[in-house]
Order: sequence, then structure tokens, then C-alpha cells
Amino acid sequence: MTMRAHPPKLPYALLRRALEDDPSGPAILGDLHESYLQKLEQRGRWAAGAWYSAEALTLAATTFARDTIRTDVRGRRGGRDGRMDRNWSLQSLLHDARYALKAVRRDIGFFVFATLIIGIGVGASTSVYSVMSPLMLAPLPFEEPESLVWIANGDPGDENVSLSWVTHRASKLRDIRQSTQLFEGMAAFNAFFNQSTHALITDGPAEQLMAAEVSDNFLEVLGIEPVVGRNFTPEEGTWGGPEAIILTHGFWMRRFAGDPGIVGTSVRIGDTPREVVGVLPPSFDFSSIFFPSVPVDFLLTFPISDETDQWGNTISIVARLKPGVTIDAAQAEYDELNRAMEEADPNRWGLGGWISPLQRYIAGPFRSALLLLAGAAATVMLIVCVNLSNMLLARSPKRTREIAVRRTMGATRFRLVRQLVLESVLLATGGAVVGVAIAVFTTRLVSNASGVTIPMLNEVGVDGGALGFTLVLALVAGVIVGVVPALQVSEGGEAAAMKSATGASRTGRGAARLREVLVVSEVALACVLLVFGGLFIRSFQEVLDVRLGFTPEDAVAWQLNPSPDFDELTEMTAHFDQMRAAVLSVPGVEAVGTVDALPLGRNRTWGFLVFGREISEDQPRYSLFPHMIDHGYLDVMGIPVLQGRGFTVDDVDGTMQVVLINETGARTIFPNEDPIGQQILAAGNEPWHIVGVVADVKHRSLEGGSGTQVYFPAAQLRAYSTLDFVVRSRLPMASLVGPVSAALAGVDPAMPTDNFWTLESTVDQAVSPRRFTLLLLSSFAGTALLLAALGIYGVLSYSVAERIPEIGIRMALGASGSSVRGQVVGRTLVLALIGIVIGMGVAITASGLVSSMLFGVAPTDPRDDRRDPAGVGVLRPDSRDARRPDGSADGAARLAITVAHRGLSPPSSPGRPLP
Amino acid sequence: MPKVGEFELLVLLAILRQTETPFANRVREDLEVNAARKVTRGALYRTLDRLKAKGLVAWEMAESERPERGGHPSRRLSLTREGLEAVRESRDILLSFFHGLEEQIG
Repeated sequence: MTMRAHPPKLPYALLRRALEDDPSGPAILGDLHESYLQKLEQRGRWAAGAWYSAEALTLAATTFARDTIRTDVRGRRGGRDGRMDRNWSLQSLLHDARYALKAVRRDIGFFVFATLIIGIGVGASTSVYSVMSPLMLAPLPFEEPESLVWIANGDPGDENVSLSWVTHRASKLRDIRQSTQLFEGMAAFNAFFNQSTHALITDGPAEQLMAAEVSDNFLEVLGIEPVVGRNFTPEEGTWGGPEAIILTHGFWMRRFAGDPGIVGTSVRIGDTPREVVGVLPPSFDFSSIFFPSVPVDFLLTFPISDETDQWGNTISIVARLKPGVTIDAAQAEYDELNRAMEEADPNRWGLGGWISPLQRYIAGPFRSALLLLAGAAATVMLIVCVNLSNMLLARSPKRTREIAVRRTMGATRFRLVRQLVLESVLLATGGAVVGVAIAVFTTRLVSNASGVTIPMLNEVGVDGGALGFTLVLALVAGVIVGVVPALQVSEGGEAAAMKSATGASRTGRGAARLREVLVVSEVALACVLLVFGGLFIRSFQEVLDVRLGFTPEDAVAWQLNPSPDFDELTEMTAHFDQMRAAVLSVPGVEAVGTVDALPLGRNRTWGFLVFGREISEDQPRYSLFPHMIDHGYLDVMGIPVLQGRGFTVDDVDGTMQVVLINETGARTIFPNEDPIGQQILAAGNEPWHIVGVVADVKHRSLEGGSGTQVYFPAAQLRAYSTLDFVVRSRLPMASLVGPVSAALAGVDPAMPTDNFWTLESTVDQAVSPRRFTLLLLSSFAGTALLLAALGIYGVLSYSVAERIPEIGIRMALGASGSSVRGQVVGRTLVLALIGIVIGMGVAITASGLVSSMLFGVAPTDPRDDRRDPAGVGVLRPDSRDARRPDGSADGAARLAITVAHRGLSPPSSPGRPLP
Repeated sequence: MPKVGEFELLVLLAILRQTETPFANRVREDLEVNAARKVTRGALYRTLDRLKAKGLVAWEMAESERPERGGHPSRRLSLTREGLEAVRESRDILLSFFHGLEEQIG
């Protein structure tokens, strides 16, 4: 039975290939075969196979090696095989690889050190690649993602624009959908879905959940099929249609343990029973793609109907182009349809828009930061290459004797260069292994980072693409690193090599100059990164120092969604007053206040008019950020009233409608008038009387201006369904949460109280993308500095070692130790200085690339602290400045003017009132 | 007369010692078992090549009927006249060096 067994095929084939030129080859194969069968009987198949493989491979390698040496000699003598053919043969390549391994073993310390250095560069590059990949490089996880587009109502690139200006009215989608020839499908989701939460009512404690509201064809347009159940039906997408929900995969697993039986059953969300019709696939994470900061638990339908149209600009549109249709063609058709709608109804507002690829829209806000990080990682990689090249150069004299011997034995220069490059490729491969380990660690850290709001962060990981990228990077780096020292070492003929090897001539001036050039370039590159890192650190500091307009310390917020459905606003107000009183009685609670949306969280804008001012095309239209607050809110947030009065308990439904306006709004809308007593028309037909001016609050971002903010009494205007409940207390959050939750539950037992956070964490989250960039960039800069220092050290120590005899003679002739030291250090300083000057020059030239990401600091002068009085960053790209001719801080007002210039009407009431 | 090293001498002797057909595998086994040496295949084949180059060893390839050879031929090793001479010479040198050392070696 065993006599017929054949040894492992691959080692056998390799050995046969190695022995094909050897007349004894067949006999050797026979010897091995015979021994294999013996082992097979004695030890079994696996052991015999392993034994054969080891034996055959060793024999093949030694045979290759022997043949290669012969070839070197034969090549030198003009042997039959021909030099070039042999230089490219697999045998000689394998031999060189084996030789390279030996060289590595001889100097394991150097190998480990070099591997670590390459590992840092490869790790940094692979990490950045992995973060960029799902967002910018890999296709979106949808069917034919290239034909998916995003339609924005306003310019989505304008950071001063609120959601209300980039979203659309439902009627626009409905009408365009009916007439389009170029869109295969158009779908939408409610961009303000995060303004309210939903309570899942079960036997246990109620749970606060987030639902994204989508048009019934949303999943169909994206090409997503539920893993269990079905999609929404058109009937479910109508106003008043059957109530259906589709669970996200994560929520299904977490809440229902992945039970497919849940589909078809009914769950109670708030007061409404809804049928679970499907479960989304795990590959589609709605929030990760469209709303990175808001985890979504299930989907509801958002009717595209007359009723939702009245809510104003509320939907974000995603569409799929028909095959072969370009964005330009789609845009032209879209513009034409909008024009037709405007002609049909000149009073219709909210028309127009921009079409862009969906991927560009999703990656847009992070594009420049990621490109900057990619640039930084590439610079680190470049420094790594320069550094290693330098180390190899410094090490090259050690190899000179060996190279000289091989040269005299007949090795060609090509062969020697290849040999040395192979060694550096081997180093780079080792570095790639270390780099992948670093990348796996950092990407895990990044994908699990809770405070970072970057889309598709959960997709970040070292995948096949990243490994391929690493491999290519390592190979390219290995070749780049090795080729200069290899050419240097193998330069000249045999005579030069032997002369150099016997010590008659130390490495030439050329090599020393080359090393110095490499060090200078290393310092220059590190300098560029350090300057950028420094600018970002200063920007970050400036952002942290921004006057928020409220006091985030010692404050905890709860998002509350009362369980009863209130018919009257007074009932709702009374309910909140009860909760307020209950929480105020908790020991340690100093103040309590409520608001519909806290700063740096959700936002929306409403259009408004100043009562008494004539409406004309020339008059600017205004928009405001509305806040529904109670009389305790300003106090609990620490927002001072600058003029007039704040709200009182008497500002309730049925009394005079009053509002507060912020400082910026008062200054821009009533520049030469007293704002107190002015009336505005917003939310309803009755005017609202301005009774006070309050300080500005950073509402959308720490970097942006405040815009016009108007505070309405929550007791007079019911334009909210949930409220944020702010509690100020010096108690630690852990000891505050229990009693406050208990007090809230005492008033409304069915209301979930599990959604709470500190205001400091909100501020923290607002700076998280900036911190993310800063951390990565500064760690890159630190690494670059370290590598540059290592590079200088390597060159310095080598050049000193080389000059020991010369220094000895100098000292013998009377030179002092200090003068020798001075000379050495002086040379180093000159190199560093040249590097710094070049680096600064490059940094200044390249600073324009990062200026849009800076805040409160000029790229060309790190000590410059110019800021405009309104607190808006001075370093906007020129194109944006040109687009905002007024130069004021109020982005919304500027946009209103732009809209007016385009002859459009402002949204009348784009916010969403309670259904 | 070419000089032989210690391992070469052992290989030459092992070839001579084979009572059956002296194949490389038998030579190697003999060296491993009776000379208490770990003999790698590569070292043995290189030594055989070297001895052949020195004209001390010859071989003829024989098509093997034995199934355990997997259809591959065998090398039938033998010493040349120069090979035998080299073994004798080495023996004489060694013996002359051993002579008179009985007391010290024991």
C-alpha cells in the first residue's frame, strides 16, 4: 500500500527543478523517495511528508546555492549559460533571497531596529489607508453605488448652513419623481428624525429608541433587501397608512436576540402598535452612513404627502440614476424640472438644488482632513525610507569586503545590487508585518472610538485591500531604500572594491555627502509635519478657548419623551412643570431647565419676517435658529440676559407671545434700532414680541458663528415632541442620575429615563473630529521628529567613528577635546539648520492646503492670533470669502441674502410641528 | 595523489564496507549508525561529487526495478584505483601517527 505512495508534490517538483542540470539528479530523487517510504512506514503520513518537505527544500536550496556560485564563475569566464539569463533565473533569485536571510541573521540587531522603523511608517500609512478606505476608496455598501446621487437643496459644502437649507420639501420630491426621465428612483429620509425619540413599551422598563423615517422606496432605491421579512409597501408609505417598522440588524440582535419570529408581530412604540415587517441586513448601518453621531434602532415610513410638505424643508433626497446617465445630464434635467415648477407656480419656494455622487457627499466633510492625514502618513513613510537608506549607507563599509570578494569571484554589479536590494526588501517585509500589527491595533482603537463621528467608522479595519496596500508599500519602500546604498557599495570595479576593502581608502566624499543630503531632507520633512502639527495644536487650543456662551460644567441633560399624548399645550406644560418640581426637590440639584434642542446637538432653521418692514425682493430675508425653552433654561445654562428680561412662569399659552433674541441677531437685524419691543413673524400668524436680548451661544459648532437665535417659551409654542431636560448640580453624575431618574419616573412612570449625558461630553463630541485629526497628525509629527533625530545620530556616530584616526592625530598635534567636539556638533547643527530652513519654506508654501482646517491661527505665523470680533475663524478658503461679501459673522443672514439674490422665498415654517 | 579529508575518508570507507550494492542511501545509513555522525543528504552528495571530481569515486547509473525508488534510477558507487590508493595512504598516515601512543591513549 505504502509502496505506491508519492511524496509531497510541491517539494518534489521544486527539488526536481533544482536538480534538472545535475546528472545524478534522478538518483538523488530516488534516494529521497526510498527514505520517504521508510519514514512513511515508521512514522505515518504527516511526519513523513514533513520530513520529505524539509529534506527536499534544504537540498534544493543548497543545490541552487551551489549552482549560483558556479554561474558567477562561469559568467565571469563567459560561460555557456550567458550572464543575463542566469541573473534572472529563479535559481539565482532564490539563492540571493537565501543569502539575504543569512545577512539578516548575521546582524539581527540591525534587522530588528530597521524592521521597527519601517513598521512605524507602514503602520501609519496602513492605518490611514484603512480609515480612508470605506469612506473614500471602497465603493459604498450598496448595489451599483456609482449610480447613487445625493441631491442637496443648498450648497452642502457650506458649513454655516443648517440642515433646513440643504433639505427639501416633500412636494418637490413628489413632483420631480413624476416627471423625471433620467432618475431610476428617488427616495428620501426625514433629515430631522433625530429631533425626537420613541419609547418602546414592553413589560419591563420602557426604552428610549431612535427611528429614522424614510420614504417607502428608500431601501429599494439603495438596493437593500431585508434579511428577514420584507420592505415597506407603497401603502405603508402613505399618510395615515398601516404603521410598519423595519428593525436594524444591531437592534434586532440586541433587543430580540435575532429571533426571526418577531417579524409579523406587533410592538408598541409610544402609544401606537406597529407591525415589524422586516430586519435590515448587517451590512447596512443607516446611522453609520448617513448620521454617524445618531445610532438608529429601526426605520419608520415618512410619507411623501401634502401633510408632510407643510412641514417645510425636511427631507434629504437620495436618488439612483438610470444606467449611462451622467451627473451633468441629471443636473440639467433637474434644473429644467425645477424651472418648470417655478413657472407653473411663481410663489412656490424651496426649488433648485445640487446633485453630487453619494459617496462624495458622505465623505465630503472629512475629505480634506483625511487627505491631510494621508499626506502626513506619506511624509512619515518617506522619512522612514530616507532614514533607513541612511542607515544602510552608514552600514555599507562593513559589507565592502564581502562585496569585493564576490566581485572578484565574478559577480556582476547588477547581481550585487539585486542582492542588496533583496536584503532591504526583506527588511521592508519584516517591517510590513510590524506595520500590519500596528495598523490592526490602531484601526480597532479608531473603529471602537465612541466620541468620533466619522461615517462608516465601524467598517474600518485591516482588510484584504489594506494588506495588499501594505505589501505594495513595503516592496516599493524596500526597493527605494535599498537601491541608493546598493549602487554606492557596488560602485567602481574590482580594484576599487578591493582597495576599499583593505582600508586603503575610506568611503569617499560622495557617500558622506549623500548621507548628509539624506539627513537634511529628513529634518526638512519632519519640520513640515511639526509645523502642521503645531498649527493644529494651536487651532485646537483656540477652539477649546472659544466662548461657548453657556456653562457646560456640572450639568447633566436627559432627553425626555413624555408617555401621554397631550391634546393641549397647557397639559403638556403642566406635566413638564411637575417633573421640574420633582427634580428640583432632589438633594444637590441647584437648577433645572428645559429646551427642545441643546447647543451643539440638533439644529434647524426657520424663516421669519420683521413685523412692519415692507416685503420686497430687495429686502433681505432672515432665518433663525429656534429654541423652545422654559423659564429656568437661561439660568441653568448660565446664559446671561443682556437687555430686557428673560421668560417667567407667566409667559404661558394665552398671554402675549414673547421671544428672546440673541446678541448677533439683535445687532444684524436691528442695527440702529432697539430690538426690545420689535415684533417678528415666525411660527404661526401672530407676531412675537421681543422682550429681551441674551448672549450668543455656540449652537452649531465651536468654530462657526452663532447666527440668529430666537428663544420661544415652550409654554407658548408647541413645536417639539421631546425636550432636553438640563439639571445643574455639583454632585458627580453617578450619584445624581439615580435620584433624578427616580424623581422623573415618579411623575411619568412609563417614560424612559435612560438617555442622559453631561454637557461637557457634548462639547467634547463637538471637537472630536478635530481632536482625531490632531492626535494622528501630532503623533505623526512626533514620529517624524524621532526618526529625524535617529537619522542625525546615525550619521554623526558613523562619521565620528570614521574619523577617529584623524581626530587622534589632531589631538596629538594639540587640538583640544572641546574644539573637536565643537567641530562635530557644529557640522550637525549646520545640517539641522539647513533642514529646518528648507522645511519651513516647504511648510509655508504648503500651508495653504491646511488653512481651511485651522481655526484662530494663521498658517504663516504661528504666533499670529487674529480673529474677527464675531469669533469666526479668519482662515477660510478664499473662494468661500468671495462667496460671502458682507464678511459678517452671521452665516444664516448671509445665506438669506444669497437666497434673496437668487429670487427665492425663504421657507415659511420649515421646522416640524407636532403631528 | 589527491589528499582526502576526514569525512571524505569515512565516505570512501563506507562505500568499501557495503556488502550489498553500495548505494548512496546505504552509505549514509552506515555513516549515521556506525560512525555516529549526523550526515545531511546535501553534505553527502556534495562529498560524492567532490570525490568523483578528484577521481577517487566512480558510479554507474542503474535503472532500478525496486518500487521503493519511485521509478528513479540508483547510483552504484565504487572506488577507483586512485580511491583505493588514497584510502591506503590515509590509513598508513593515521597508523604511523597512532604508533607509540598506546600508553597515552589507552
